[in-house]
Amino acid sequence: MAFNLTRRKFLQTASLAAASVPLAKVVSASTGISRSALEAKGTFGDKTVTGGICEMCFWRCQLVGKVRDGRLMKLEGNPKSIDNGTAICARGNAGVQLLYDVDRLKYPMKNVGKRGEPKWKRISWKEALDECGSKLKKTVDQYGAQGICVFPHGSSAKYPMHYFERAVGTHNVSEASFFQCRGIRDTAYVATIGKAPGEKIDMPNTKVLFFIGDHLGENIHVSHIKQYIQGLQNGAKLIVADPRFSASAAKADIWVQIKPGTDTAYMLAIMNYLVKNNKYDKAFVEDHTEGFDEFFAAIKEWTLEKAAKECDIPAEQIKEVAEMLAANAPHVGIHPGRHVSWHGNDFQRQRALACLTGILGAYYVKGGWVPAKGPKVGGVSWAKEDHGQEFDLNQDHQKDEKIYPFKPPGTPTELIRDCAISGKPYPIKSCVVWGQNPLQTIPGQQKMKDLFNAMDFVMCVDVMPTDVTAWADILLPEPSYLERFDFIKTGTQWDLSKEHQQYISARMPLVPPMFERKDQIYITNEIAKRMGHEAKIPVQTIEELVDKSLATANLSIEKLKAEDGIHIQPGKDPYGVPEDFTVMLFNEEIEDTGHPGAPTYIAVPDTPEGYARLLYGRAPVHTFNRSQNNVWLHNAMPDNPVWVNDKVAAKIGLVDGDTVGFVNSEGVESRTTTTVKVTAGIRKDCVYMYHGYGSANPLMTIGVGAGVDDQSLITKLAIDPETGCSGMRNNFVKLIKDGKVLDLSA
Amino acid sequence: MSPSEDIARVYRFLSQCMQYPDTEWMNEEFFNVLYNLLGTLGALEDGVTIKKEIDNSADPIEDLQVEYTRLFINGVPHVVAPPYGSVYMDKALQGTFAGNTLAFYREKGFGMEDDADFPDHLIHELEFLSLMAEEHDLAGEEEFLKKLFRPWYGLFQARVTEEAHHPYYRVIVQLIDFFTKEEEKDGFQPNKA
Amino acid sequence: MQYGMIIDLERCVGCHACTIACRAEWEVPVPYQRNWVKRLGPTMTDDGMASTYYPGLCNHCDKPPCVAECPADPVEMTFTAKNSKTKTMNVAATWKDPFDGSVQIDKDRCLGCGACADACPYGARYVNPALADDDSAGKADKCTYCKPRVEAGLDPACVQTCITGARIFGDLSDPNSAVSQYVKKGAKGLEVKGGHIGPNSRYYGNKKDMGLLFADYTPELADMASVKRRAMMASMVKPAMKKAKDIGILGLAGAMLVKGFSENEDNK
Repeated sequence: MAFNLTRRKFLQTASLAAASVPLAKVVSASTGISRSALEAKGTFGDKTVTGGICEMCFWRCQLVGKVRDGRLMKLEGNPKSIDNGTAICARGNAGVQLLYDVDRLKYPMKNVGKRGEPKWKRISWKEALDECGSKLKKTVDQYGAQGICVFPHGSSAKYPMHYFERAVGTHNVSEASFFQCRGIRDTAYVATIGKAPGEKIDMPNTKVLFFIGDHLGENIHVSHIKQYIQGLQNGAKLIVADPRFSASAAKADIWVQIKPGTDTAYMLAIMNYLVKNNKYDKAFVEDHTEGFDEFFAAIKEWTLEKAAKECDIPAEQIKEVAEMLAANAPHVGIHPGRHVSWHGNDFQRQRALACLTGILGAYYVKGGWVPAKGPKVGGVSWAKEDHGQEFDLNQDHQKDEKIYPFKPPGTPTELIRDCAISGKPYPIKSCVVWGQNPLQTIPGQQKMKDLFNAMDFVMCVDVMPTDVTAWADILLPEPSYLERFDFIKTGTQWDLSKEHQQYISARMPLVPPMFERKDQIYITNEIAKRMGHEAKIPVQTIEELVDKSLATANLSIEKLKAEDGIHIQPGKDPYGVPEDFTVMLFNEEIEDTGHPGAPTYIAVPDTPEGYARLLYGRAPVHTFNRSQNNVWLHNAMPDNPVWVNDKVAAKIGLVDGDTVGFVNSEGVESRTTTTVKVTAGIRKDCVYMYHGYGSANPLMTIGVGAGVDDQSLITKLAIDPETGCSGMRNNFVKLIKDGKVLDLSA
Repeated sequence: MSPSEDIARVYRFLSQCMQYPDTEWMNEEFFNVLYNLLGTLGALEDGVTIKKEIDNSADPIEDLQVEYTRLFINGVPHVVAPPYGSVYMDKALQGTFAGNTLAFYREKGFGMEDDADFPDHLIHELEFLSLMAEEHDLAGEEEFLKKLFRPWYGLFQARVTEEAHHPYYRVIVQLIDFFTKEEEKDGFQPNKA
Repeated sequence: MQYGMIIDLERCVGCHACTIACRAEWEVPVPYQRNWVKRLGPTMTDDGMASTYYPGLCNHCDKPPCVAECPADPVEMTFTAKNSKTKTMNVAATWKDPFDGSVQIDKDRCLGCGACADACPYGARYVNPALADDDSAGKADKCTYCKPRVEAGLDPACVQTCITGARIFGDLSDPNSAVSQYVKKGAKGLEVKGGHIGPNSRYYGNKKDMGLLFADYTPELADMASVKRRAMMASMVKPAMKKAKDIGILGLAGAMLVKGFSENEDNK
């Protein structure tokens, strides 16, 4: 276009009457205020809104918001909190940026293009809900309730998940977040002590902290870090086994520079030494363990020397650690870890941690593993209904037993995918994705796409347009954690030695949801009405749901608000081993499934000549990949330099700050490059980088191409035989500098 | 009719052009007015391009709705050109820039309606400019253009021009550019028109 | 009275909560920063393998090299102490407060020349382009020890959000304050090489971490000749013409403000 006139000339010569279409006046009169010129005011004078609960990660700290002119300016820890207090981490502080992320979903949208290659158009809620209701109902009418599969994740997905499971009646519900993270830890501890361990180590009151790979400091969860630092301040010794001089190793008394994958051998040697030298807790073993003899027989071969060789560490240091643990038992904290799907031998390593805790008698004692006694608050949801086992894909009907007896609740993703794609044993024709991104969280992208392509109807509910949302026919926008009610968070004071207190808080919105975002109760109920379940609807609004749940603790939203978002009540002494508490040092049930019943070391593949093992971990400013596009967090740590051992670097002529790419042992090259960090603080046979960088997405305006995506190089998954979880640390890389592939032989 | 009132109508028309497409207003009459305006500006060929696109479509309004959604609301996986100043100045919605924009409205005696979008939305900024013009507050209009409109508009326009599939939005962002940019190079001076 | 801040490296985990909280509190635009966290090491030191952090901020120095370089015309300013005592001084657009010892900036009078930023050996000042006005491309900006918050009885934003209690704020001239206790235990500021400017943000830690920090981040005084040149240039081009024009425009805007509510209603 070429406008030859200037605006001024145009105004002088042309009549504009024809162009003036009368419009509604959106900008209206208001009182005039002049702003103070240049100095930022600070947010402390802004209005404080209480009742926030963070969701930048799953730790969920309690928040207040500072609000100016309807804008959330800042988030702070709720001063009333006995958990995080006024502190929140970098990510929590940067939640404001997520709230106002431009890419967030704003209006209901309909895909008028192809699945996976969407053409979105904004539509009304009525149209969107009519479409969802009628399509889902059609599936149920034609194929039965089992014709719907559901992939939920997060607190906002609980209510709809219960609706589809209970009122509609499908078994085909699968939550992710298990196979690539803490699932192994939980099942291994359940198989040892009967319950998932959380990270419930009484760190402030411990005498020795024992970490296998935990890198607290790089891995930040507020009250957990408070416990950790308080413990060190109180004089706790810290033992850190890590191939890298991590943030925790930097504060450690003993850094065990262990060879990756050999942790179980290390712990077996410690346990063997303790037992052989009578340095274990005999009374505890007598009263609270089973299978001690079988256990001892199984680990007996693990002498200090044998482990020293396998783990590539001095035998003397293993002994020193064992002695330190014994001297301070039972007040020792053996940390269960969190992300533990590493090498495909992880179930056994987690069992070893649980057993080590047991023979040191470090359960339910000061400084050991101690689950604090929190308050009980009932949940309100859709009424449970029995829909039988006929369409449960996890049921082997011939043998009349479960296919995967130790799997978590719901139906394994793989069984749903196979059924949906093959149509056998029955058709699955509609899919509801709520807050989950199964394209990225579950290995096997193509299979997921095949599932979507086999559907008559796909709907997604989310906050952000994640990869999976491209496969939706209808895409609905939810309020974020800062704009909605939902989660009830309970707990105790973080230092168990202090006055016993319990708290109850419920997530409340700090600002109203912008645009046309609607909460999970509204969406679920409107769909339920259209599917003929109106009479079963348990609550009309999210506020009613929260109020009814709180009522079981004699509270309400109003009462909580009056208490600044947090109710505090007297707590209970958490110490003292329950009488029936048992540690299964040897577990026959595991043995019956064909796996070792005592913790057993399974060697992992060695690093091939010329390669280094690729290790990854957390950056304190990022939660996985989720926060890559957050400009505040990105600016704090803009890339993820690769750590290379200084001697290796010197040998191949790499210097600090060099730019390198990667190629893995399967020939996969990194899309991007990063810089080299030359350091003595890593073993020669490994390289290390922060996870959560190097987005491939060109429209991720902030995070794209910044650093290298470790996930793209993790092409080999080691399957943990007991749990089926996928270990990600058996991948090996070389570096590429100036187009030349460099051997990393030590 | 004074030129100031004329420009007020232009701003309002431009803000209307940026509303979500809907048959209620985006009808034959609207397009005729648009073509007429383009013709007056000696850019009839742009009107012809838009008309061709529209005549060749089975559902021209849906085309524009899809395009509007992709460009300005949500794209897969990222929206192309969110029409908010803060996005370009603060890299997020509701940044300091949005606060400054609201403060400017207030300084001039205006505020936002409850159901309005954020203060730095293109539509509201154009509406505000039309109000400034209506009130003959030429200094206010120019100051607003210079401090709170032009600093981001060029970045926004570049993204739309680069990424738009539909000629309608390429033309509209250029029209808006035309009616808001001149005084930029002339410095900080009252409009003598 | 002299405000100071202690960073306890034994407690610090390098999490960046302090830097992001500061950004939110004071609307500090990326990529500028009023405080920062750098990771040091891991490096083999004489005391063993070490890795720690450098959480930096304005040192509100005893003899701040930045203050002397400000080319803005001095004005008389009266300061008031907590006990209502007052003191009047001639100050340019940045000064050291005679009562609380903090170093502050008057953004309205700042010319935005950046001489003070160049003069700071710690890189604690920046010219904030978000504060640009018709006379300048921005205004000097930096940590104020959260003066407005502190005056309102609050902790600085970075102290409030610190997870581990690694940041301690208080009066270094009060021997009983927590910060003074740390100084007695050995907390030290990053004094410049071969000089004495008296930094009041101080670090406490074990021998190897402190050794690493001081080896890596002991600064040198800036080249003052070039700083002075810059300041002089800025004072020479103070835009007198432009200022006059602004007054006219401000007058116009003022007139519009008077007009008020009813007239707007009429336009609806």
